[in-house]
Amino acid sequence: MEPDTQNIPTLRHILDEFDQCADLSHRRFPELSADIVYFPHTVDNNLLIQEILLPFDRLQADGLDKLFLQSQFVETRESKAVVVGILEGCVAVFHGEAVYLLDAYGPEGRSVQQSETETVIAGPHDAFVESAPTNLSLIRRRIKSSHLKIIRCEIGEISKTTVYILYIKDIANLKYVQDLQNRINRIETDAINDGGTLTQFIEDMPNSVFPQFLTTERPDVAVSKLAAGRIITIVDNSPTAISAPSSFFEFFSSPDDYYQRWALGTALRLLRFLALVITISFTAMYVSVTTFHYEMIPEALLRTLAESRNRVPFPPVYEALLMEIMIELLREAGARLPTKIGQTIGIVGGIVIGQAAVQAGLTSNVLIIAVASSAIASFVIPSYMMSASIRLIRFGIIILTGIWGNIGLVMGIALIVIHLSNLTSLGSSYLTPIAPMKTGDWKDVFIRAPFSKLSSRPSQSKTMNSIRQKNKK
Amino acid sequence: MHRQNYSLARLSLILLLLLPLLLTGCKSDERILEKLGLVQTASYDLAENNRIKVTSCVPVIDPDSSARRELLSTVSDSIKEARIMFSRQTDLTVVSGQLRDALFGLKLAKAGLGDYIDTLLRDPSIALGVKVTIINGDAGRYINHLLEKEAAGNSIPNTTLYEFSRDYNDDGIDPVAPIVKDSGDKAVIDGIALFQEDRYRMKIPAQDGIFFGLFRDDLRQGEAALHLGEEDGRPVVVMFSSLLNSRKVKVHRLGPGRFKVELLANIQGSVLEYTGHHYLNKAGVRQQLERDIADVIMAKAKEMVSQMQQHNVDSLGIGIQIRNTLSYKEWNQMNWREVYPQVEIECKAKVTIKDYGKYM
Repeated sequence: MEPDTQNIPTLRHILDEFDQCADLSHRRFPELSADIVYFPHTVDNNLLIQEILLPFDRLQADGLDKLFLQSQFVETRESKAVVVGILEGCVAVFHGEAVYLLDAYGPEGRSVQQSETETVIAGPHDAFVESAPTNLSLIRRRIKSSHLKIIRCEIGEISKTTVYILYIKDIANLKYVQDLQNRINRIETDAINDGGTLTQFIEDMPNSVFPQFLTTERPDVAVSKLAAGRIITIVDNSPTAISAPSSFFEFFSSPDDYYQRWALGTALRLLRFLALVITISFTAMYVSVTTFHYEMIPEALLRTLAESRNRVPFPPVYEALLMEIMIELLREAGARLPTKIGQTIGIVGGIVIGQAAVQAGLTSNVLIIAVASSAIASFVIPSYMMSASIRLIRFGIIILTGIWGNIGLVMGIALIVIHLSNLTSLGSSYLTPIAPMKTGDWKDVFIRAPFSKLSSRPSQSKTMNSIRQKNKK
Repeated sequence: MHRQNYSLARLSLILLLLLPLLLTGCKSDERILEKLGLVQTASYDLAENNRIKVTSCVPVIDPDSSARRELLSTVSDSIKEARIMFSRQTDLTVVSGQLRDALFGLKLAKAGLGDYIDTLLRDPSIALGVKVTIINGDAGRYINHLLEKEAAGNSIPNTTLYEFSRDYNDDGIDPVAPIVKDSGDKAVIDGIALFQEDRYRMKIPAQDGIFFGLFRDDLRQGEAALHLGEEDGRPVVVMFSSLLNSRKVKVHRLGPGRFKVELLANIQGSVLEYTGHHYLNKAGVRQQLERDIADVIMAKAKEMVSQMQQHNVDSLGIGIQIRNTLSYKEWNQMNWREVYPQVEIECKAKVTIKDYGKYM
């Protein structure tokens, strides 16, 4: 038992701990009998020069003690704390027996850029980056209030990823905050790399296809969620912020709805819900109509449809699945390839699959239109996570319609609705404001009413301060 | 505990999903579009020995084929039996879910359409919007001509299967249907066929169709060319367009089993053509013209109504109007077919000229 030598940080001990860490930097100042130890790539060079190197250059050995009285130098008596400190971007200064930590965190990182996955036409264009401090600053500069509270947690046994839970005191419901914090603290895993991964650890039903927490990489969205009484979680090293609790319909709104005039915003919202219907049912309708319900085809369309099906060797359901898989292949190839090659893929796919498949008689051109329009409609849904989930579900519905026709379609939609109403987000209903019925929320969910009408916060956030604004005009 | 419930629920959900697989059978209800013979027009004629001759028109969906449609014809005892026989004639499954036109030959119409209408209604795949048309002649022969030219005259309304069967089954109204005849290279509207119950009795010529329409129902749109006699040896014609008509009915009870019915047609329209010599921009002239038009309409209507009473067809639905003034018991005790010919029917028309052209 040598508790003392274990706990009291000595230079030798620290260097032992970081043995074979080639990126560790250790500098000696023999004339001052001081040593500094740090990771150069996590430390801001300017800060290092200004706070340590310049004063060290100026001062004599006895002046050093006075320097260390300044508050940025934190005296640390525990070996473990020093190790953690160095890992988190501090400079450890060894002077005689004493050890001081100077926080000089400032690693290289991507600068704030435009959002790639959630673009808007009007409105702010900045997006979160991988650095949590930058992300926090993007939010802090938008909410200049001491009521914006930030809880810091750490997850991952190896990665020690910092997670920040942000909420606005007196607006957010503390029960949600508590619940979220508990869920995050309960995580036992080695490493968390992204907000998208974190959501799957803390969701109410991780096995569901539907994302139960809205993820965004836009600070303006995060701020609007905070103001609505929701809670934002920011994961270090990830540009994805998580908003909770979320409802299914939230995934269909875009910040553009608020930056444009309300009539436009309303029209776009309705368009997106139409897109949802088209995505789920268009190809499926084609399958069910051509396989079972020929009675439903309008007279003017009958000849076109029958002629286009005439040379196709497969039953409609196989034909539809083939084309849907083709489109998904194209999409996935486009997503994984660099932009320039991605364009080529688009052209090759568009011409080869579209034109040639019809001419070769492999598919009917009406189906191409159906598949393409449902693919386009799926991309109208602003949240990539939601759009991907819905695209996946579509396959199930197509298979169901291939077996039972319209009954299969209705059954599929019924199963989706049943599943959705079973979901919760942080314990609150995922289908708010349909179930429970909160008609007061509808004006900011299905339409985007003028701001004078949007006077209260969404009921889902269960806020104690529901009045959001009092402007009557 | 919670976990267990959850997995149980999931298990039962999977079972629930698999259960309907038992319903699929042998895919016998699959109807893949290109393997179907879609009957779009079917005609029914009376053949010998009370059998019926059924002709069906099936579109040929092969784009390379020069023929656009194929005619299938057979003589059978029933409509549905004929469909089975058709399926033997082609490699396609003949189905009737895309039926748009049902044509009935005049001979068959005289014998009564009730059974055939019933068969068409019974098949759930046949829409209620199927058009019922009577063919003056052999229905099967004209099927091609009809297809080339959709029933054109707008003064003759289409009759759908729904309307026909509704009027057939309702008390106090008799069904009507457009009647078509062949005139050389194309089929033309011959008039309106009036039925007593389901049996054809008489027809109203095509040019008088508008007068029938005015007194049968409200009209939203229509056109009528009216002859108002002669002036300086030239016929005076008024083309009355954008017709808007609202029909009102007044029933007076004169005694037991005796009624007087007033049919009031309130007609509005614009004059598109006027070959007379008066200036229509004078209010007095216009009012005179309105009265003249009303007189022509009333004279035509009177003649039409007396014919209908002679043939004992209540196509204007006068029975319904009388029924509405009576109690259920009174109506049931009355034999409408005996009462109808004795009803005093007065047709009145009020004409309003809304506008009369751009310059004059």
